[in-house]
Amino acid sequence: MALVDVKGVTKRFGGLTAVSDVDLTINAGEVHCLIGPNGAGKSTLFKLIVGLYPPTKGSIFFDSIDITDERPFARVQRGLSIKMQAPSVFKELPVRQNIQIALQARFSGAERDVEEERLLALLDLAPESGKLAGTLSHGQQQWLEIGMALALQPQLLLLDEPTAGMSPEETFKTGELIKSFNAEGMTILVVEHDMAFVRQIAQRVTVLHLGKIFARGGLETIIQDEKVAEIYLGKTHAH
Amino acid sequence: MFKLLDGPQTLGRGWTFWSCFLAVLAAALIYPVFADSYDVGNFSYFLIWVFMALGLCLMWGYGGMLSFGQTFFFGISGYAYGVLAINMGGGSTTIAALMLSVIIAMIAAGILGYFMIWGGISGIFFGIVTLSATLVLAFFLGQTAGPEWHIGTARLNGFNGMKGMDPLTIGDFYIEGSALYYVMVALIVIVYIALRMLVNSRIGNVIVATRENPQRAEMLGYDVRKYQLLTFVIGSGLAGLSGALYTSWGQFITPSSIGLPAAAMPIVWVAFSGRSDLTATLVGSFLLLFGFQTITVYSQQAALVLMGTLLLATVMLAPQGFVLGVGKLVVDRWTGRRRRDANSTLADTGRLQSDEA
Amino acid sequence: MSAELFSVFYQFADVFAFLILSAAGLAIVFGMMGVINMAHGEFIMCGAYVTVGLVKLGVPLAIAQGLAAVTAGLIGVAVEYLIVRRLYKRPLDSLLATWGLSLIVTQSMLLIVGSSVTGIGTPEGSFAIGGYTFSTYRLVLFACAVAVLIGLYVIFMKTRFGVMARATMQNAAMAKALGARTGRIYAISFGIGAGLAGLCGALYAPTMTLIPTMGATFVVESFVTVVVGGANVLLGTAPAAVFLAMIRMALNASYGQIIGQIGMLFAVILIIRVLPEGLSSVLVRRGR
Repeated sequence: MALVDVKGVTKRFGGLTAVSDVDLTINAGEVHCLIGPNGAGKSTLFKLIVGLYPPTKGSIFFDSIDITDERPFARVQRGLSIKMQAPSVFKELPVRQNIQIALQARFSGAERDVEEERLLALLDLAPESGKLAGTLSHGQQQWLEIGMALALQPQLLLLDEPTAGMSPEETFKTGELIKSFNAEGMTILVVEHDMAFVRQIAQRVTVLHLGKIFARGGLETIIQDEKVAEIYLGKTHAH
Repeated sequence: MFKLLDGPQTLGRGWTFWSCFLAVLAAALIYPVFADSYDVGNFSYFLIWVFMALGLCLMWGYGGMLSFGQTFFFGISGYAYGVLAINMGGGSTTIAALMLSVIIAMIAAGILGYFMIWGGISGIFFGIVTLSATLVLAFFLGQTAGPEWHIGTARLNGFNGMKGMDPLTIGDFYIEGSALYYVMVALIVIVYIALRMLVNSRIGNVIVATRENPQRAEMLGYDVRKYQLLTFVIGSGLAGLSGALYTSWGQFITPSSIGLPAAAMPIVWVAFSGRSDLTATLVGSFLLLFGFQTITVYSQQAALVLMGTLLLATVMLAPQGFVLGVGKLVVDRWTGRRRRDANSTLADTGRLQSDEA
Repeated sequence: MSAELFSVFYQFADVFAFLILSAAGLAIVFGMMGVINMAHGEFIMCGAYVTVGLVKLGVPLAIAQGLAAVTAGLIGVAVEYLIVRRLYKRPLDSLLATWGLSLIVTQSMLLIVGSSVTGIGTPEGSFAIGGYTFSTYRLVLFACAVAVLIGLYVIFMKTRFGVMARATMQNAAMAKALGARTGRIYAISFGIGAGLAGLCGALYAPTMTLIPTMGATFVVESFVTVVVGGANVLLGTAPAAVFLAMIRMALNASYGQIIGQIGMLFAVILIIRVLPEGLSSVLVRRGR
């Protein structure tokens, strides 16, 4: 069953077409990776699904409801949850309060306290819970933000380059976390360009190139697709 | 309930703080017994303005919305009180006039806030749009000298201002002197406690989250615009409370309490005190008003030059606020010494558990 | 008919000149550094006082006005160096600091100079078209406003400083890396902004009563013009002034000055709801 349906979406900025007539389906229960070389339009597509940009054309459905004109907060209330590319936490507030702000939408009282401790432990942030979030390391801030996204108990978790700036160990651990959420039934969309990480977590992959869908399919199919390797290698040399 | 009073968003916690709070409150309550009525009246006058300062502290320090237009709502409510008190016939209706004028200020804030917040105005533009509205209101009221400018039987009177309304009255009893003083103290305690509970509540959590990072707050499913509007309406309502009380206290109000330099005063109080904490704002605003009033007796210009200098000095030397800075220093010294004492006694019994920071 | 048409143009020109002259300095500082100079009104006041002082000493009006603008500009450079420079990372704080400065200056002037100074009177000269008489000086003001816009166009589009300044505006760190002396560019820009404020005061000095708080009569117009215009002086401030002047002129003619001002404020509040980034965002987007 399709949880998210992106239908014929186009986004132009002035004369630049960042995303062009894209269809994308994310099925309930899968880990879906959106990959592509730099400038392929991944982040733009992500922001369109989140609601940060209005599409120039096309519509977006969540759980068969048209959410094209809804603001981000309304989409989140429907069951989306988002982690942006750059760590975006409440820097001047303590770690614990960051989690509380996220949790209070879904939980209250003793239940919230339990959930709070569980998340802090899950993210290895319990010893840091009194520190200001801005003083955490880059990787820890990324985790804190993933934790805040999880606190909403979403149907669909959207992650934009969740491992940017993480060490290989941290990246691996993040992958295992994502797989464990998926095992509990959460649908996950990950924008990523680290192929090792994609191999670790993806079930289905969509490749975006120059704003268009270039290929899509199961993980194995995509990895063995030579054309995909070509655009990828061709471009990855550039940076 | 107690958790809300002592939550993470406010400084001053626990036994020591609340004992101090009660001691100050007790001193405030017995003060009129020892002072002459003139001084008590003056004290009430300082207290009038504290609501406006606390409102701005909520909006600016907690909500991250720097409004330069607090005197806009002060003026709307002050004039509304005058118009209502005169037209409703004074007496006990003045209580209703007070409440209605605060509500009118809040409605005005709701309308102006809607256009600004839904229009995505923030940062410095929020300040200059609110200030523009304030100055235009002051100019407008300044040229209403003619007899054609009246609402009901209340003449607006241009620069000379509106006068002749009853002060707050219950039956035949004018709330003046010590009675007014006690009303002020009670209102301040209520407002202070209520704001403390608000900022430490779930709503307060979202308010500070919006200040820190509005996009992230929205991505947690909060319609941040509604929270900003709520903050703006509450803060402006408090400015309105100050305005209505001011008109009632002096039985007049003029456009000069709205325009420049009056509009700068709440900013100076809150900036100097420390915008990020309600208690610091309460204490600092009171001190500044006291100092300002003392100097104004000799020269109003000199007092205003001092206010300008304090604002400049605060920004250059202590952007977080002087009162807050001093307060934090005292607390650090105090707890630092106690911790050292605790350290030395625990030194031989093993390592100190200090996870609760 | 043509007399009536000219009369409409004359009224428009009057309001337009007021908006441009009072807003140009504020807009440059905002456009370049994202800072709103709250002491803008005091630079205007400075320009007016210097002009009147010099004229009373026997200096011809036009020269006095030029010197007044230069004086305000130099004071602006000093203020930038002493205060604003330290606050570039904190734009809101620079508002507060300049507001503090504004309070200090106005109130000190009231203490030292007293409340009002006798003016010098509007330069004589008027002409008649049809049944209407018009003041020549008002048209001189309009010409000055247009000259200011042309001057800014030349400075920012045709000079080396302008190229550096625009680069700094786009991306200060990058411009610095490429060798632009951003500190000096900021100081000069702030100086130009203050100088234009001084020019505004100098030009309007003959037409109004001089009091230390006179800056306040200009700031509303300058604020709303900048709010509507956004960060770009040429593509934002100028069209904003045209737009606001039309609203203002229509309301002034039928309901008087104060309703004109209130109407303009309402228009601005409506515009920010519809175009949060100001007019220049629309114009710039179209231009792409």
